[in-house]
This record gives sequence, C-alpha cells and structure tokens, in this order.
Amino acid sequence: MFSFTEEQKIFEICEIKIGGQPGENPTVLFGGLFFKGEPDFKKAEIEIKKMFEISNKTGIPSIPDFFIKKEEYIDKIIDFITESIPKNQPFSVDIIEPDLKIITLEKLSKKNLLKRTIYNSIHVGIKDEERDALKKNTPEMAVIVAFNPKDKSPDGKIEVLQNGANLTDVGLLEIAKNLGIKKILVDTAAMAPGDYSGAAIAAIPVIKEEFGLPTGCAIHNVVEKSNWLENFSNVKKSVDSASNINIPAFGGDFAIFGPIGNSDLVFPMIAWQDILISEYTENYFGISPEKNHPRRKFF
Amino acid sequence: MNNYFNQTKISWDKYIDFAVNDMINAGIDIISDGQTRDPFVNIFTRKLKGCRIRERTEIIDRIQYFEQITVVDQKYIRNKLTKDKELLGLLTGPYTLTKSSLDLFYNDEKQIAFDFAEALRKEAKNLEKYVDMISIDEPFFSMGVPDYAKELIKITTKDVKCPVRLHCCGDVSCVISELIDMPVDILSHEFKATSKLFDVFKNYNFSKKICLGSVRSDTTKVESIDEIVNHINKGIDIFGEKIVQLAPDCGQRLLPRDVAFQKLKNLVKAYEIVYG
Repeated sequence: MFSFTEEQKIFEICEIKIGGQPGENPTVLFGGLFFKGEPDFKKAEIEIKKMFEISNKTGIPSIPDFFIKKEEYIDKIIDFITESIPKNQPFSVDIIEPDLKIITLEKLSKKNLLKRTIYNSIHVGIKDEERDALKKNTPEMAVIVAFNPKDKSPDGKIEVLQNGANLTDVGLLEIAKNLGIKKILVDTAAMAPGDYSGAAIAAIPVIKEEFGLPTGCAIHNVVEKSNWLENFSNVKKSVDSASNINIPAFGGDFAIFGPIGNSDLVFPMIAWQDILISEYTENYFGISPEKNHPRRKFF
Repeated sequence: MNNYFNQTKISWDKYIDFAVNDMINAGIDIISDGQTRDPFVNIFTRKLKGCRIRERTEIIDRIQYFEQITVVDQKYIRNKLTKDKELLGLLTGPYTLTKSSLDLFYNDEKQIAFDFAEALRKEAKNLEKYVDMISIDEPFFSMGVPDYAKELIKITTKDVKCPVRLHCCGDVSCVISELIDMPVDILSHEFKATSKLFDVFKNYNFSKKICLGSVRSDTTKVESIDEIVNHINKGIDIFGEKIVQLAPDCGQRLLPRDVAFQKLKNLVKAYEIVYG
C-alpha cells in the first residue's frame, strides 16, 4: 500500500467522486449492460436495481455502462436511461463504431443527458468527425483508453497519452483537453492473456504518478478472453470478480468489471479491499476516507 | 497483436507495402523498409532494454539488446522482392541515438554511445542474414564527430559480412577528414541540398565509394530529369567511378507521398540517361 507523490485529481460526476490518493475515495465500479441482440430492458432494470442496492449497502459507487452496438438501439437505450435511471445517477455509453458514437452524442444532447454522461471512449483511432461531434456535444466526463498498438507496456500507454505515439497528431490527453473535456478517466487497456495483459495493472500506478489522473481498467477483458479458464468453469465468475481487486491494490480508482450480473460478488470484494487499503493509508499516510467510503460503514 | 476494441489482428504490413511498392514502381534497385513504423530513433529505442519513450527517448537503465528490432520486417520484404532487387537494412547510428536521448541513468555520454553501438552490432549481425547492405544513419556527425566515433562504427559493424554504408546528412564539409577514415564501404551525403560538398570533397584523396544524394528531401519541388542529370554529371566529374549509388539526399518521411514518388521516378530516369 502506498501513496503518490504527484498531486491526484478527483473528478466528480453527479456527486460520485473518482480519483485521489489510495484510501481516499472508494473504487468506482462500472457494470456492463452488453445486450446480446435486442436489448432486454426488463432484465436490465432488475440488474441495475440490484447493483444500486449492493452499491448502497457497501458504499462502493456504481455506474451502469451501456454498450451500444447498433443504430436502432440508440433511441431505445436513451429512452430507458431517461425513464428508468434516477435523475442524479451518471451512466456511461460504451461504443466502438465511430458513426454510432457521433449519433449517440447528438441524441444525448437533445435529451439533456450530457451532464450525466461518461463517454467510453476516446482512443488513438479517433477521427476528425468524432472530434467535431465531441466539441459540439461535450460529455461531462470521458474515458481515454491508453491502447498503444506499438507498445503494450506501461511506457507505451504513457506514450499515447503524452504524444500519441505518432498515431495521432498530439497526445490523447491534449486531444481531450482541446475538445473541452475537463474530466478524464484513464483506462489502461487490458489485453488478452498472453498479450502483455498484466501491463494494464502495472500501468495504473505509473500513470497516476505521471499525470495524477483517475485511472483504472476493464481487467474483466483478460478473463473473458482466456481459454485456459474454461477448464475451471465453476470458478470463472469468482476469478472474473476477484481480478478487479488488483485495481485498488495498485492504486487504481475505477473498475469496468464486466457483466452487471457479477455485482453480487464484485461489490463486496472491492469494498473489502478498499477497507484494507484505507486502514493502512489513514494510519501511515494520514489519508482520511471520504464520508461515503466503505470503511465508514465500520465507524 | 490484436486490436483492443474489436479484436481484429493488427498488422503493419500494409504501410511497409506502401513504401516498398512505391520504391519498386519508381524503378529503384535497392529497397528499404521505408521506416514507416516510427521515427528513426524510436524504431530502435522502443525495443532496446534501458530505454523508454516519453516526449523523447529516456535512458533509465543500462542499454542492452533484448530482441530483434527490424529483422521481421526485412524478412517480410525479402520475400516480396524479385532477385534483381537488393535489400537495404537501416540502422540509426549509436551517436545519433545517444544525442537524441535524454540520459537519466549513465551520466556518461561516451558509455551510452558504446552501449548503443554494442546493441546495434547484435542487430546488424541478425540483419546481415537477410539484407544485401546495411546503412548506418548518423546525422549528428554533421554537427561534430567525437574522437571515439570511428571506434563506435567499428563496434557496430564488427564481423558484419555485408557491405556497410554510412549516411550522414546535413553539411558535413567540416568533418570530411573524419568521415573518409570511417570503417565503412560507402559514404552517403546530401550533395543536392549542400552542393558545396562537391568543392570540399575535391580537396581529399580517399578510396571510399560514394552514394550521391541527388534529389532533395527537404523541399516539395520535384527536380526535373535534366536537373538531376546535370547534378549526377557534376558528381561524376569529381568522384568518377567512386559513385556506386544514387539516392535521395535523406529520408523522404516529410514529403507528400506523390511528391516522394515523383522524385524517385525522375531520379531513376536520370540514372538511365547518364549510365544507360
């Protein structure tokens, strides 16, 4: 357990704080709503409700992460957010296709939802059209994925943030700044097993010490892509959930933990880890946990 | 490796193909990989132990050769080339790597340069199995050649069996006596942009062969065939049969692709006129 020498930024979205020194704020958990085919909103509503309940119980903040794969789902998902998610609750939109990103931003703006939106994500593949859309419809917060196809090490991840590794005109942090995005989360881009997967965890303290920005990752991606784990299918969910403990243990601030259905395991695990960290960092470094920190549940 | 977002395989081959095909289509005989992957310093420091890339390369530990750097790309190109084409392996020289990096470990510039040289020697030994010639790029020599420069090049090329060229762009008129003494087969300079080099070289007796820079790399103006022919003839007046290669003055990285291609095409046509 450690503390960073670089000043750590804390960003707030709808009263959820992300970032800071280890032990200061609870780890924020993003639960994924992947929707295989047509979105099943009844199931989604139940799962989100369960996540919010366990979030309240543990003191670990939660954010639903909506995957949008097709244009025809955009309106339906946005309507669902408007109608079924509490008005003070932030959410993230996780979209791969640049065209869908642009349309979604436009629609979120029309529904006045950008103040609650975490845009997932900006990366080295960003095109001019996406930049224009982000400038016009700027979300409150954005995830920057530090994926460097030239170098998967922590240094390579820093390179894309700092100077774009000659893949973008300037570094990704400067791109976000130029677009007017003030609240940035850095995702360290967890790769498949055998493809330097551990670097996503190792990069967390390196990036936090270098930039002081809230940092985390979707370590679930590593588990999801593992064939080896199929030999132990009875523990796969446990391994998937437990992998997230690495993030706060290495000083990270958020975990995009995979299927929202894993909330029942992930939230208590992360709460437990946050308590352990806080007990040490308060005693040794004098870092007091924020008022909603899981450790406060024990005071 | 796979793309993080959609899990498709990421390959750099198409960018290498752009460069190689343009060289082939222009009629160039000696083909390189085009150094499309990275700036010429980063290509090497990215894969050497002890270096990390930030705004510049930073040296944070002892420099050591860890894995092959350019060999995979050379193998890829070798398989695409017909037998009448030669393949040129490119090394960014130890002095240029040293001068381009920020030292956070050694506090001894000379030792950094020698460790880079040792690492590059290992790459050169791996490269020689696939290429016909190795070119060492040392632009920093134009700003002064250190007294240990000859030793650096000697280490870099130790036991290398293929011919070695030393490319040094910029105005090298003040360091020619050092350059002609280097343990290499061919000297390559930017004679087109720095035509005064013709007059300075006249004053030296040397046995090395010459790669005559014949089209500029720092301007988008495409030289006419006649202009290049005149330039080559001027070179022949001074160097005669020492000229064994014609080339652009330097890398064409900063030129638009169509301009770079046209320059290469005109260079080849000028060569055909002069040398038949």
